[in-house]
Parts: sequence; C-alpha cells; structure tokens
Amino acid sequence: MDKSMLGDLDSLPEDDKMRMSAMIDQLQIRDSLRMYNSLVERCFSDCVETFRRKSLDKQEEACVRRCAEKFLKHSMRVGMRFAELNQGAATQD
Amino acid sequence: MAAKNGQTSIEKEQIFGMAEQEMEYRVDLFNRLTKLCFDKCIDKRYKETELNMGENSCIDRCVSKYWQVTNLTGQLLASNRPPM
Repeated sequence: MDKSMLGDLDSLPEDDKMRMSAMIDQLQIRDSLRMYNSLVERCFSDCVETFRRKSLDKQEEACVRRCAEKFLKHSMRVGMRFAELNQGAATQD
Repeated sequence: MAAKNGQTSIEKEQIFGMAEQEMEYRVDLFNRLTKLCFDKCIDKRYKETELNMGENSCIDRCVSKYWQVTNLTGQLLASNRPPM
C-alpha cells in the first residue's frame, strides 16, 4: 500500500495533503506490523512440528527462510496484479 | 478549522473519515486476498524460495477471480438492500 493508492493528492490544499499523508503513513506502519506477526505465525505453523529441543534445527530454519521469501515474493506479485485490476487493465486468461 | 469553499468543518471531517475507512477497507481487501491466494496456490512444503510457473499462473488467476467475486458481491449487496 502506498500513496499511489489515492488518485490525486496533489490537487488538495497543503494541510489536507499533509493530513492524508499522515493517515497513509499510519496505515502503512500498522499494516507492516500486522504482516510481520502473521508471517511469523504462518511460517511457524508450517515449518515447526516437533519440540524435542529448544533450538530450531537446520531443516526448520531453512524452511522458515523459504517460507518467508516465498510469501514476500507472492505478496509482491499479488500487489502488481491488484494494481493492474484497480486501474482496469484487461489481461488475458 | 476555517471553512473552505463553503465546506463546514463537520463536512470536512466526514470526508476525511470516509477516506480513512475506504483506505482501511482496501488494505483489508488486499491482505485477505494475499492470504487466500497463498493458501490456495502455494505448496506448503516450501521446497525452494522461487515461485514456479504454475504458482505464478495460479496467483494471477486467483487474484483475478477474487476481484470478480468482490465486484459481483458488491453488486448483489447494492441491489438487494431492503427498502428503507
């Protein structure tokens, strides 16, 4: 989510622009924190099954890395497609 | 707060309120969409860090369909509203 989500901030008077900008920043921070937590939960529940030890073993660690990477790449792709659809761009089946 | 263009400060607050709600709605929409399509398209065994071609296509189609369901649902909600 970024400021391009709003059509035309530039046409607003200065103090309104700043207010909208602050609103977006706040939403962005809140969303980043939420994303952090949900990513941890997801990768933990998908990668950690046993509790024989306190430390993650090599497999679990590798799994968590791949999980996080994959989710971030996925999220970026979704973002691209979502932006295209928002702009009404038609894509082939 | 000074009124601009005949707009009262109450009206202005309402507009900001609506804009904020609209933004929160879009963020929520995006987050749900992302979560759902990940669950439906990505193999949870996480064999590699890259998205393969199948996953990429699935993501594109999932997003497209989710978007269509959103629009369709919106239309249905608008048309079935009981008369006040």
